[in-house]
Amino acid sequence: MKYRTTVGVEIHCELRTETKMFSSAPVSFHKVPNSMVNEIDLALPGTLPSVNKKAVEYALAACMALDMEIDPVVRFDRKNYYYPDLPKGYQITQQFHPVGKNGHVFLQIDGIKKEIRIERLHMEEDTAQMFHKGNHTYIDYNRAGIPLIEIVSAPEMSSGNEAAAYVEILRNTLYYLGVSDAKMEEGSLRCDINVSVRPWDSEKLGVKTEIKNLNSISNIRKAVDYEVSRQIEILDAGKEVEPVTLRFEEVSGKTVFMRRKEESVDYRYFPEPNIPAIELDPEWIGLIRANLPELPEQRRVRYLREYGLSEYEAGVLVQDKELSDYFDKMCAHTKSYKTASKYLLTGVLGYMNAGKIRPEDLKMKPADFALLCDAVTDKTVYSSQAKSILTEILEGADAKNLIQSANKGKVSDIGELAETVKQVIGENPEAVKDYKSGKDRAIGYLTGKMMKKTGGMADPAVISRLIKEEIDKSEREW
Amino acid sequence: MNYEEIRKKAYAAYNECSRLQEYLNASASLIDPESQLAELEQLSCDLPLYGEPVAVKDNVCTKIADTTASSGILQGFRPVYDAHITTLLHDAGAVMVAKTSMDELAMGGTNLSAFTGAVNNPYDLNRVSGGSSGGSAALAAAGAVRFAIGSDTGDSVRKPASYCGVIGVKPTYGRISRYGVIPYASSLDTVGYFTLNVKDAAKMLKVLAGRDDRDMTSSYEPVPDYSVNLNTDLTGKKIAVFGNVYDALEPGEVKESLDRVIDGLRKKGAAIEFVRMDPVLAESCMAVYFIISNCEASSNHSNLDGTRFGLQKEADSFTQIMMKSRTEGFSHFVRKKLLIGSYGLYEDNREEIFVKAQKVRRLIVEEYHRMCEGYDALIAPACPHGAPLKSEAENAPLSDRIEDNHMILTNFSGDPSMSVPMGFENGMPVGLLISAKAFDEAGMFRVAAEVEEITGFKDTVREVGK
Repeated sequence: MKYRTTVGVEIHCELRTETKMFSSAPVSFHKVPNSMVNEIDLALPGTLPSVNKKAVEYALAACMALDMEIDPVVRFDRKNYYYPDLPKGYQITQQFHPVGKNGHVFLQIDGIKKEIRIERLHMEEDTAQMFHKGNHTYIDYNRAGIPLIEIVSAPEMSSGNEAAAYVEILRNTLYYLGVSDAKMEEGSLRCDINVSVRPWDSEKLGVKTEIKNLNSISNIRKAVDYEVSRQIEILDAGKEVEPVTLRFEEVSGKTVFMRRKEESVDYRYFPEPNIPAIELDPEWIGLIRANLPELPEQRRVRYLREYGLSEYEAGVLVQDKELSDYFDKMCAHTKSYKTASKYLLTGVLGYMNAGKIRPEDLKMKPADFALLCDAVTDKTVYSSQAKSILTEILEGADAKNLIQSANKGKVSDIGELAETVKQVIGENPEAVKDYKSGKDRAIGYLTGKMMKKTGGMADPAVISRLIKEEIDKSEREW
Repeated sequence: MNYEEIRKKAYAAYNECSRLQEYLNASASLIDPESQLAELEQLSCDLPLYGEPVAVKDNVCTKIADTTASSGILQGFRPVYDAHITTLLHDAGAVMVAKTSMDELAMGGTNLSAFTGAVNNPYDLNRVSGGSSGGSAALAAAGAVRFAIGSDTGDSVRKPASYCGVIGVKPTYGRISRYGVIPYASSLDTVGYFTLNVKDAAKMLKVLAGRDDRDMTSSYEPVPDYSVNLNTDLTGKKIAVFGNVYDALEPGEVKESLDRVIDGLRKKGAAIEFVRMDPVLAESCMAVYFIISNCEASSNHSNLDGTRFGLQKEADSFTQIMMKSRTEGFSHFVRKKLLIGSYGLYEDNREEIFVKAQKVRRLIVEEYHRMCEGYDALIAPACPHGAPLKSEAENAPLSDRIEDNHMILTNFSGDPSMSVPMGFENGMPVGLLISAKAFDEAGMFRVAAEVEEITGFKDTVREVGK
């Protein structure tokens, strides 16, 4: 039978604020356990929450980036359950009135654009972290109370690939906004995925399962694909899918049982009485909107329209914010956008990948790189020379000097070159024969030989023209 | 007063609280004032409460003394931080001499449910002090301290004030920061206090009131000097008598003393009128209070799980530690209330129980404000009778009658309200309740000062065991 897959995604994203959601304790990572904690984070008796204004600002910025409707009255609720990582015995969240509703993003998969709607975005607080060692459980409250936003998509994705693309776009958007590190591998962005399948012609959604805590984009793809195949196998066998919570086992690539849905607790939601409803000042909202940074999609369009980059180039650049930030810094110094992107995405990216270097750690100054691109564009240096100059400026050498000396040593005297051309033709009769019999690539071979003889200091285009002319001339002479 | 006199006064209060323990059982713990006195030496004697001994209800977090809220589950709990009001008292020069007994987690009105046992009424040791701030009321009434801190969720300052014959003030919700006060029901909880005269009541509010950024419900409303304009006559003031409560009074001492006060207020120039509210809404107060307070409490006390502080029972798993600690740490009475509160919040019940209670709360408040519209103050007997015998109170069923529950109205509305001594019934004190508009504590104190003059009950203390 043919099936349709339905996927919905819930994302939890830690906000990069200075202090916690409801306390003045610092938000800080990789610190001594329980050192970034005050009486509020430990839920000592008598403590009260105070809303972090910066966290609200970040949540609002996220709502705006996702084109959501903003509730101008911020309200919080309590979600009650007992668990050792939840010191108050309840989490302060926004069950009844999420700050954002009805947003959307567009996925671009194989050139096809697909809208995924986002149902809600709400603010809440993170739990403590538990570590199990031997018979003991250790609790680190440093994470307790860190601001979170939860973003819930409509169940509108239909494959692991789409789910992965959705998370990637959200991750990148939140990162561009500067509201979160959005690092899946470190848990600052976590996602839970709901998956169901149903017969192709069925109107009713199938029974869904939830896969918890996926920690990378590729695992999202693998987990959803595996889960879809698992559910299809069950349905094909005439059985029913059980509504369970699963986790993804990286080693086996399988989703495995965690708990039954009916074991889920009643959260006894009610409005948080210690936080009065906060009416947002429209002027403040306007200010946040006016100060939104450029988002990935806007940057992509700018690269296409203003810089004339290809879809591929724009896509690769935008995916890595620091790389495209570097590119933008270069573009402040050069108009040779195409050359700049070509060099950045080949030579520089290769260098970075080999040395595991991040764009922000490059020794090469964007202005130096820009100088080189300009020199290539106006042919002050040949592309062959550019390669070796790039190698040096990547290590921090000054571009200006290198370009100048390359320009000086350049062989541009046609007469001088003509002698060498004759020499090369004389030394390579086979290649000349090949060219004469119609094999054009023999010119490339001969040009290569020429470049070697001139130490790369000649314009390859000029050389191949000279070679062609020389052979054609000798032919006529015969 | 010089430092030596201050020292003597502090130790006298401390020793008196200690002596009274045998009779009243009012203290959860005593605080040797030595370290505070050492600090006082550095402070200016111009401070409003310089060297003034105070007793503080045991749900107010204090670094220098255990804070148990009179619950077994918080045995030995020593806060690592001071409540906002603890800091304010310290900064005003006050010396804490006792943490006072209360109904367990403030969930009661008799003070019979304290982990350390019942608090006895200074006027008759067989009778209740009232609760939940019973220890503070009793120590003030017995003259051990002139200032004592309490908290008021339904009537928890005003009822013991009425029963013990002292002044008990519940200011406007948000007037005093709740930060560091172990909650009962957050939307109703108000820090309050006891004094022996109205002037001191005005002075104390000036010390405690004001915005605290750690309590988002605390108000930015400026804090006036409440002491000025006391004892100016009441010409042009309109005072309403709560008719529903008045009508319910049996003929006798309570009604007679109320009539005397009404008469006196008229003579002082006030226009007195009787007002009444819808009786159905009036009699819904207890039910609504019962639901809202216990629902909120069931969540508020979820942090008392035996893992990070307080009583911890050994067990194999977190769930077991928590269940054993909570089962042993809470009394049966509290467990029952928490259970009822949880029940009201379950998804299937929420609309029918909790949300409905909140809606009715709003209707009650609207009706209450309609009734009070145009009046500067509303008066009523705080309680229809003096303090009951402990044996009677123990098994008394919940009453839904307005005369027993009308003090809840100002917890619902957030308006300020206070009890001042009005008279006696069979030798037991009875208070007059004065309520005013939100943040008009100054107006409330003005009426109270006149009542004080009319009744002559000022600085009245009951010596115990002498």
